[in-house]
Amino acid sequence: MSRNRQQPPEHDLHAYADGRLDAAARTVVEAYLADNPAAAEEVEDWKQQNETLCALYGSAVAEPVPLRLDARRIEWESRTDAGRSGRMAAAAVLLLAAGAAVGWYGRGYLALAGPAEITLADEAMTAHLVYSGEVVHPVEVWAREKDHLRAWLSKRLSRPLTIPDLSAGGLSLVGGRLLPAASGPAAQVMYEDGTGRRVTLYIIPVTDGRETSFRHAALDPLEAFVWTDEAISCALVGELPRNRLLEIATLAYRQLE
Amino acid sequence: MSQLMDEIEDCVPALRRYARALTHDPDRADDLVQDSLERAIRKRSLWRPSGSVRSWMFRILLNVHRNDIRRLSHSPTPVSLDTMPAGDPAGPDIQQGRLALAETARAMQTLPLEQREVLLLIAVEEMSYAEAAAVLSIPLGTLMSRLARARAALRDLTQAGSPKLRSVK
Repeated sequence: MSRNRQQPPEHDLHAYADGRLDAAARTVVEAYLADNPAAAEEVEDWKQQNETLCALYGSAVAEPVPLRLDARRIEWESRTDAGRSGRMAAAAVLLLAAGAAVGWYGRGYLALAGPAEITLADEAMTAHLVYSGEVVHPVEVWAREKDHLRAWLSKRLSRPLTIPDLSAGGLSLVGGRLLPAASGPAAQVMYEDGTGRRVTLYIIPVTDGRETSFRHAALDPLEAFVWTDEAISCALVGELPRNRLLEIATLAYRQLE
Repeated sequence: MSQLMDEIEDCVPALRRYARALTHDPDRADDLVQDSLERAIRKRSLWRPSGSVRSWMFRILLNVHRNDIRRLSHSPTPVSLDTMPAGDPAGPDIQQGRLALAETARAMQTLPLEQREVLLLIAVEEMSYAEAAAVLSIPLGTLMSRLARARAALRDLTQAGSPKLRSVK
């Protein structure tokens, strides 16, 4: 009896209102609510909020989908667009990636670096060279304060940033720092593999981010992949085989969208 | 690839509903969905079957919406009753229900975006807490606290209109 009067965690009260509890947990919550009219009223209000919100917004699903939101049509148009931009040749200043990366070029995921990318790659590589060899102070904020790092860099770059988890690529987070780039603040996030080899992700904010494919740049012994997303431009730099770095860049890219 | 397109297509009605609830503007909502679809279709070769297509599409939509807000510094326009759904809500008391709808719509506009995002994923899209947290890239605890704050704020803002019933089951 007294067990039932114990207050269930708030999580369970919400889950109860949302109908997400199993029978056992539900019984506990119901017993508690029966003894606590104020809590019962609050939970009942939440349920009514759900119903009201569904009544308010639910009808949009039943409407016919307009032509411009036809996924097949968008797919078809994207194919013709890709053909057009594929014919645009970007200036190739740095290394012409070949060999194993040819497949990527062929599929349009890779292109040669243009002037903006080269500036970015250059900054990122310089920053990599300066900090990746540091033993005592490679980063300003260490991995154990990852949430703080994310909040801080997001604030300074005025963008909601994600600190990508690259463990699937065999890399663990070391930490990150803020740097002065040519255009303003830049973030550098550092990772290392089991052998202590370091990879850095360099991020600058952009305002009219036109998404690009991955661009490759190399400056012996460093390799870099550069890309622009909607609000940021990124460069991933490391002294790693190109294909491996590309895999890691793909991991980072997916998490940064 | 074609199956992925099918799954993307299946998400469209729910994405429209969610976008409209976020923006209170049907045209702008459809713009967001269109941008999200274009983006997803461009990036579909990078989608990996580790999560659901629905989660992925919602994540894209949320990002597009946030970018849109940042770009336009758009302040939410006040909702007018014209944008309210025409049909009467199901419920025992239609007048009461309609009042609650208008009041809730107005109250929703005043909630911080991060609270609206969460509440709508849970209440309208009926996502599990875990999926909603994954979509928003936030820890479960953060999701729960935003949900609690959203509900408390909505309750404060609509106190006058909602009938008080007590569950005594």
